[in-house]
Amino acid sequence: MRVAVERSILPPGTSPGDPLVRLEGIHKWFGNLHVLKGVDLALQQRDVVVVIGPSGGGKSTLLRCVSLLEVPTLGHVWFEGNDITDVRTDLNEVRTHIGIVFQAYNLFPHMTAERNVTVALERVLKLSGDEAHERAMDQLARVGMGHKASAYPGQLSGGQQQRVAIARALAMKPRLMLFDEVTSALDPELVGEVLEVMIRLAGDGMTMMVVTHEMGFAREVGTRMLFLDEGRVAEQGEPREMFYRPQTDRLRQFFAKVL
Amino acid sequence: MAVTEAPPLEPEVAPDVRGPTAPLPVTILALGIASLVVIALGVLFSQVNYGFSDRVMTQYCIDQQISPEDNGAIGVCNIIEALRDPTTSGALYLGIGLGAAALILGASTYRRMDSKRKRDQAITGAVIGSQGILLAIAILWFRSVSPGLFARSFLNFADLHGYGGAFLRGIRNTLVLAFAGEMGGIVIGLVLGVLTLSERRAVRAPARIYINFFRGTPLIWQLVTGYFLLLFGFGLRMSAFTVAVIVFALNTGAYASEVFRAGIQSIERGQYEAARSLGMSYVQAMRYAIVPQAVRRVIPPLMNEFVILIKDTALVVALGLVESQYDIFTTAREGQAATFNATFFTVAAIAYLVVTLPLIRLVNAVEKRLRSGLVGIAGAGG
Repeated sequence: MRVAVERSILPPGTSPGDPLVRLEGIHKWFGNLHVLKGVDLALQQRDVVVVIGPSGGGKSTLLRCVSLLEVPTLGHVWFEGNDITDVRTDLNEVRTHIGIVFQAYNLFPHMTAERNVTVALERVLKLSGDEAHERAMDQLARVGMGHKASAYPGQLSGGQQQRVAIARALAMKPRLMLFDEVTSALDPELVGEVLEVMIRLAGDGMTMMVVTHEMGFAREVGTRMLFLDEGRVAEQGEPREMFYRPQTDRLRQFFAKVL
Repeated sequence: MAVTEAPPLEPEVAPDVRGPTAPLPVTILALGIASLVVIALGVLFSQVNYGFSDRVMTQYCIDQQISPEDNGAIGVCNIIEALRDPTTSGALYLGIGLGAAALILGASTYRRMDSKRKRDQAITGAVIGSQGILLAIAILWFRSVSPGLFARSFLNFADLHGYGGAFLRGIRNTLVLAFAGEMGGIVIGLVLGVLTLSERRAVRAPARIYINFFRGTPLIWQLVTGYFLLLFGFGLRMSAFTVAVIVFALNTGAYASEVFRAGIQSIERGQYEAARSLGMSYVQAMRYAIVPQAVRRVIPPLMNEFVILIKDTALVVALGLVESQYDIFTTAREGQAATFNATFFTVAAIAYLVVTLPLIRLVNAVEKRLRSGLVGIAGAGG
């Protein structure tokens, strides 16, 4: 009997129930500093996992471990069913599927907004100049920066730069987006335009992991929240539930300070 | 009720707040400037005056061991006679007096000046006055020993007639040597600079050994040894000029690599991470993100290296160049060897300055411009 095989949008080797990303026993030492002390985490497709916690708690390090910008000292990171902490992994290939946006934008200052987006499309994904241009303009329009395609980063406000940085990451058509305190360096009046882009992205079904101090965003957009304290997941759950009924004293103290 | 004058609402330029001046500080400044001007004009006037006159050899010049038979003896005699001329002496002693007055007045009163402008003028006057004193003392000292001995060797331009073309060729060859060496050095330096930043000691170590070797041994040793190594050790057929270009490139590469390393390290780590997070390899991140930015920052130091190399090319005098390849210094050395007149080296110094001074100005201008240009770009960091 022939079994009808449904064409899956998922990569081979995964079933719909498998998590997109799974972290397993992640430890990270910087010298003698033990920053992450055994973190486990799984992200399903379309999850928006928000990571909160006091500074120095390991939030950014955890996020950076997902795309292997920091290599975990111990533990494994599984992406689409593959252990990407294995030394044989082609990290350059994996990273084309994982977009990351940084607190300091990190746009290339010697390139226009459009070139910032197209350079990796052409050099890494090997798209033609026309295809790259088209895709870049689509993504810049998506973040409301189409009219600034030929501007250099130095000519843009922080919020505009950050939106270009998001477009740059999205243009790679990633299956996961990581946001590392992307609004922390912005003037207060510029935070909204960046959060708006992220909210729309979540609405479009992008799987996201977001380290943030924006508690409103965490509560409204997050499908799951992690409270990271002293290198451990001190508490996790549904964001509203955590806001209204924090279980630990540490989380209560944290909310008392930030809210 | 007292009505105070309303300040202008939006002044077009920053106001001058240095305040008024007064006769005393102006006098101090004038004394200082007068000191320098009197000395310079007095000495120059005498020199020009003697230079255009039809004087003959004097007993003083003969006492100063200038032989009347020497080519250019009268010219040298004029120089040292002009130096002890009453006009020169008067200018020197007057200059010392004016300078001393400016120094004493300025130093004793500047603390009591009640505006910024007065204080600045008093201090500047004292400083310029002391420069005048030092200059006059140096000239007095020089002429009191045996000026003829020095002047007949280094200030006798008579033997240089007919060497204009040779020096122009020397300038060209010096520039070719330095430019070719610098270009080769930049390529070698960029590669070495990237290698020294490797995480792997096996990659870093050879680069460091190379750099330390070329930075730690004398360039003249590298030139001479390189010449014999390439020609006899490796059996290559090449001119001394080519050997020199190669050695200069190897040597400059060692210094340039440190410039590139520092330039690359000065680019924020976030730039590298952003490039890698987009799937770029290490080499791609360097090529598209890091190096283009680092290059802008290393242009001024590399130009400085170029100026240094222009002067270091003088060391090719140790190799046997053929005449058409003579650089400035070899041209001078050959001229001096033919005439026993060291004035060729004086002219060589002038030829080097003709090349280096515009470059030094250019480096400063580029540095200033890149610095202001980078402010806008650095704004990307927030």
